[in-house]
Amino acid sequence: MNATGQVTDNAVMARVASGEVAKMAVLFERHHRALYRYFISMNRNRELSEDLVQDVFFRMLRYRASYDANQSFTAWMYQIARNANVDQAQKRKAEVVGIDEFDDRRAEPASAAPGPEEIAAKGQNIALLKRALERLPDDKREILVLSRFNDLKYEEIAAMLGCETGTVKVRVFRAMRALERVYFALQKEKSA
Amino acid sequence: MTSPMSCDDAKGLFAEYWSGSLGEREEIAFEAHIAQCEACRRDADQLGALWRNLELIPAEEPGPGVRARFYDSLAAFRQGMESAPKRSLRDRLMALWPAQPAWQMAISFALLVIGVGAGYELRPGAAKIAPDGQESSQIAQLRGEIGNMRQMVALSLLQQQSAGERLRGVSYAYQVPASDTQMLSALLATVNTDPNVNVRLAAVDALRAFGSSPVMRTAVIQSIRKQDQPMVQIELIDLLVDLHETDARPELEKIAADGQINEAVREHAKVAMEKLR
Amino acid sequence: MKKTKMKWMVLAGAAVSAMALAQDSENRVTVAFSNPNRPRVLVVNQVQGSVAVRGYNGKDAIIEGSHVGERRRDSDGHGGMHRIDQPGGMDITENDNTITIHGDFMHSSNITVQVPVETSLKLKTVNGGKISVEGVSGDVEADNTNGSVVVTDVSGSVVASSTNGKVTVSLTKVTPNKSMSFSSMNGTVDVTLPADTKANLRMRTDNGEIWSDFDVKVDGARPSQSIDTREGHHRIRIDKTIYGSINGGGPEIQLVTFNGSIFLRKK
Ligand SMILES: [Zn+2]
Repeated sequence: MNATGQVTDNAVMARVASGEVAKMAVLFERHHRALYRYFISMNRNRELSEDLVQDVFFRMLRYRASYDANQSFTAWMYQIARNANVDQAQKRKAEVVGIDEFDDRRAEPASAAPGPEEIAAKGQNIALLKRALERLPDDKREILVLSRFNDLKYEEIAAMLGCETGTVKVRVFRAMRALERVYFALQKEKSA
Repeated sequence: MTSPMSCDDAKGLFAEYWSGSLGEREEIAFEAHIAQCEACRRDADQLGALWRNLELIPAEEPGPGVRARFYDSLAAFRQGMESAPKRSLRDRLMALWPAQPAWQMAISFALLVIGVGAGYELRPGAAKIAPDGQESSQIAQLRGEIGNMRQMVALSLLQQQSAGERLRGVSYAYQVPASDTQMLSALLATVNTDPNVNVRLAAVDALRAFGSSPVMRTAVIQSIRKQDQPMVQIELIDLLVDLHETDARPELEKIAADGQINEAVREHAKVAMEKLR
Repeated sequence: MKKTKMKWMVLAGAAVSAMALAQDSENRVTVAFSNPNRPRVLVVNQVQGSVAVRGYNGKDAIIEGSHVGERRRDSDGHGGMHRIDQPGGMDITENDNTITIHGDFMHSSNITVQVPVETSLKLKTVNGGKISVEGVSGDVEADNTNGSVVVTDVSGSVVASSTNGKVTVSLTKVTPNKSMSFSSMNGTVDVTLPADTKANLRMRTDNGEIWSDFDVKVDGARPSQSIDTREGHHRIRIDKTIYGSINGGGPEIQLVTFNGSIFLRKK
């Protein structure tokens, strides 16, 4: 049990691993939205992201026996998510996607125009920030999405990426710097 | 200890500084640094504002079909589960099987020599000898390792598709020395993952031969709550009582109090706690 | 959207392609075993409803499915056509002489299959029905949760369990050297074996009795009865488990029940 009185993810997954596969529903309810957000941030494609969410839960069922209860469930799940995403990207590499079309797709998401929420003090534009994030290279966007949106601990991200926790923190810093550059570039474009 | 922080050191602390999760000491050192380093102060403020604003980007939600599809698929998976081979255990055991064909053949032959076809005749010391009396040096060598062969037989049987064959693998486990850790871990894996309850029950019984192993005791304690079958849970609890494993008491206490566990199992756990007092 | 779901279904079962199958009626199909060089295996995974398998004098599997209560409407059929691979909502696949049937998990249904006599079986259901097997020769596995398991007139080997139901098994002939096991949490375990069956036995019941007309030689020297030598303890367990043998011993046969009795009968 954790502080909120819930059975921990690790404990639930341990039961799934031992054969109580129906318990996977608990983990689905807890995590499918965050997983979806991770995927959509990575590929900007709603249908594909929904498929990938299914894929992650299916992979976790199939490989449930490989789950180590001493390991963070979240790290394990995102490791699987990451692999699913990479597999998918490799499959799609063959598809020739025109640059214009690609850009359209990136701009497409339903919530793309929530009405620019200006942060008065800084004059920052959330829609612009969102676009800046989308323009970041995959690895930088990924680390920001995981740490900022999906609330993964730095240790968990490190376990998932197979590197030191310190390295993750530095990479988050670098990704933020890159984000800032893109953000200001977009702002200039806009005002020009 | 109080040597001033460099800009490089600071880089690793920004993320936690922004989210307010730095330890007290680190925070003091970090603030001391940005107080006298303009570049880092700028990053801390400017990037910090972006960091906070990232949270304001609305989350994109999956469509409503995702949930329905998941539950459909889960049901389909549960149905398919029993017919699918047990990957983990099989793979682990396959890893024990030598890769060279020559050895595979030698082992297959050895299986015949020690009488796989007649498992029950295989009381310790009753191993059969090749009928023609001719011994290739390979076979002689294998006979020297007959204990290992028994283990090999048991391990290869434990990975069979048919529950009957896996049961036979378990009964072979009675023949290997209690010091055989590979056999012990194969049995524990069977107890925890075999899809067939009868095979798991037999494996719990076979574990008795490993009663002196602390590894086995610990694994058994941990296994109880992983089981979905009350019969197996009760057999595991009885095993711990027979071993007089007092370390099991905290876990038994949890089991007795866990509303999700079968009533009879919880009762059994209570009785077991009395016995282990 | 549909694509992924299909993928799941296929992964859960097996390749459906090139399956020889004939639709006899809306609820009945005949499926051929495709590879005569491999042993025949029938796998049935059912969640809601019963499973009945009977050996018959033929070479194909004849599968019938019937819904219990409300019938499923195939409203998305195409111009009066219906899917031939899904009588009664079943999902049937054949691969290398193994036929796998997944019952309809949305509705309760009863599945009846006739198979050639020499067929091995792996049958499973959870709710709402019993598993019955009659007149086959092969290795039979049957697992039920809330219903009984009844196996009669089988030659070969049987591994059967039920959590809440009775397990009744009668073998006309036992494959030498095969281990067998029968278990139930809350039901009686009733097993009939040919009189000359050789076996080592492990029998356990907590709240029931053990009856047999075999001459069971109880094994007093089984070392696993006394196990703990830690700290000078040497405990002899006087317990609910009996180890023994019939006809001089043989492969292991296990009979376990907690709240039921055990009957080991001679045929
Ligand atoms: Zn600095």
